[in-house]
Amino acid sequence: MELIDKLSILADAAKYDASCASSGAPKRSSRGKAGVGASDGMGICHSFTPDGRCVSLLKVLMTNFCLFDCQYCVNRRSSNIPRARFTPEEIVRLTLSFYRRNTISGLFLSSGIIRSSDYTMEQMIEVARQLREVHEFRGYIHLKAIPEADPKLLEQAGRYADRLSANVELPTLTSLKTLAPEKELGTIHSAMGQIREGIDAANDDARADARHPPRSANPKRQAPRYAPGGQSTQMIVGADATDDRTILQSAQQLYRSFRLKRVYYSAFSPIPERPAGLPQAAPPMLREHRLYQADFLIRTYGFQAEEILGGPGNLALDIDPKLAWALNHREAFPVDLNRAEPGMIGRVPGIGLRSVQRLVELRRHRKIRFQDLVALRCRLETLKPFVITQDYRPADAARDSQRLRETMTAPEPAQLALI
Amino acid sequence: MPGIDMSGINSHAGTAAMVASAVDFDAWRARARELLKAGVHPARVTWRDGSDVCDDLFAESADAPQPVIRNAPAPRIARAHLQTLQRAARYRPQGHELGRWPLLYQTLWRLSRGDETALNAADATGAEVQRRVHAVKREAHHMHAFLRFHNDVETGDESFIAWFEPAHDVLDLGAEHFADRLGNARFRIATPQGGVEWDGERFTYHASCPVEWHARAQAAATADDDRTLWRTYFVSTFNPARLNHKVMTQHMPQRFWRHLSEGDLIPALEAKARHGGQRLAQEASVGERKGKALPPGRLRRDADA
Ligand code: SF4
Repeated sequence: MELIDKLSILADAAKYDASCASSGAPKRSSRGKAGVGASDGMGICHSFTPDGRCVSLLKVLMTNFCLFDCQYCVNRRSSNIPRARFTPEEIVRLTLSFYRRNTISGLFLSSGIIRSSDYTMEQMIEVARQLREVHEFRGYIHLKAIPEADPKLLEQAGRYADRLSANVELPTLTSLKTLAPEKELGTIHSAMGQIREGIDAANDDARADARHPPRSANPKRQAPRYAPGGQSTQMIVGADATDDRTILQSAQQLYRSFRLKRVYYSAFSPIPERPAGLPQAAPPMLREHRLYQADFLIRTYGFQAEEILGGPGNLALDIDPKLAWALNHREAFPVDLNRAEPGMIGRVPGIGLRSVQRLVELRRHRKIRFQDLVALRCRLETLKPFVITQDYRPADAARDSQRLRETMTAPEPAQLALI
Repeated sequence: MPGIDMSGINSHAGTAAMVASAVDFDAWRARARELLKAGVHPARVTWRDGSDVCDDLFAESADAPQPVIRNAPAPRIARAHLQTLQRAARYRPQGHELGRWPLLYQTLWRLSRGDETALNAADATGAEVQRRVHAVKREAHHMHAFLRFHNDVETGDESFIAWFEPAHDVLDLGAEHFADRLGNARFRIATPQGGVEWDGERFTYHASCPVEWHARAQAAATADDDRTLWRTYFVSTFNPARLNHKVMTQHMPQRFWRHLSEGDLIPALEAKARHGGQRLAQEASVGERKGKALPPGRLRRDADA
């Protein structure tokens, strides 16, 4: 099979994994050196496909042959799809060619499981090894960790990769059992635990090095890096009936236990030859979007999953989770922007983290007025009922949340025309 | 723009209008320093782009040595603020937008008098400066993302050439970034304004890009053998079940599509997805190939692997 045919099949098979981040890698540069590639911690999107997704890495499977039969997956062994397999050299060639043309910032390599988990992992490591050692590639490498593989192999993978990820795939033990019978949550968790330990140990060594720099300047003598870009995982949303609250609680648990950089939510995409028991249609894309918003609140605003969704159920689709929280907690508002803790200002819907910073900075010099929110381009219509400034108090404060919500989600009144 | 603060203007000697000019940030900075020392209020200065001093009959040229009226100490502002101004200076004002030098001088004037809000986004002038800084940062990012290199046919292997049309003055920011990425490989970047070459060790800048580079970059793009591979990848990695035109164009403005080898595929992919291809995530051409379901196999455990 020609390289181009393999590429077409194995890129198609890999697109169901949502993660594409190329951020979080340590600073590396090839300036004045042999080899190619750099990273500066910032991700770059080199293109966007019409689905609005960022193209940052060459995202392919090594092979889409697979011994497993995970029901939600297009590559499961019972699926009647064209199959292909790259050699490590072919992946290396594609990565370097695309990288030099500036269409990607690195490689995201995953694979179906062939022969054995160890063999599959070894083959993936071989690609990363060739890139790093033979071609002195300093761009981004994200490897998918196969949870069932020997811990020694995960250890090796982490030496070459900037990021490792083991997918939990499904938010609960039961859904994993029914839809991915060959996978075990325990194994996935222990792989994540091992990756976390690897990262922690490398960080400790790096800290020790920083305190007592090794006498030799030889970088090999310094603490070896281990997946410096951290680890992430993916959960498929909408392949079963799990609600958003359970999904967010699982995610929160994963952030806490394994210090994940990111949990990706991937709305189940309809696949050819859908097995019985899987939904016919994809969940609304808006659901995935709301989950990402809620996830962001957990990671950066200090919200708890249980605050965002007090009881079982899904996130509202018509309003974002921050506004929903504020409407359910009217007693905490309005917030006086001249007095409140920065954390509380961050909870005002319509005010983003950057604006919080600027407001706090500004109020050191003078009182905050409503006009400042206009200048900071905050979402005025949203925040109006929730803030107090030197010259402004909401008239809506007494209005009940239900009416407020109705006004905020009401469609624009149709313009009446003269006839 | 806010009304310019005229208070205090009388406390400085002289109220005559002046013309000052600057070719680049360093020239502006030198000129602005003299004006500040002489206590010249922003309202009195007309700034010109470029070096030629075109004397306004009614204006006293500030490019001529300024009589230092007060023996003022050299003004100081925080280094971080200076960097902000330098970033904002890369912005190319359009049409009726305020020119770069007068905006910077207004800001500098206030900063030098201890008015820190002059750079805060909640201040009208500060907001404009921050908006420009943001636009410049975004354009540098666009250049890092959407510039495409191709093998320079004229020089042979390990040498690349690219054509890019930046909206602001970010050529050097791009060049530095690509020197980090490409290591020893030589490259050239051509733009409608300047051009730059990297020989693996140092940069050579051309204030106006050598004319033949444009054609060379185009020839390189057409002759590129791996162009089809990239286009194939782009088609396959797209998920037609998730069409989202708005997000795509927000992140990748259409002005860049023309120079991307995948650019012309976008409208076609969208049209196909809209007309029925949207039910499945799988790319149609992959679905048409012969499939192969696998027999239930035994996963070898570590022991027998
Ligand atoms: S292990 Fe499961 S999810 Fe992974 S490729 Fe095989 S079938 Fe798909």
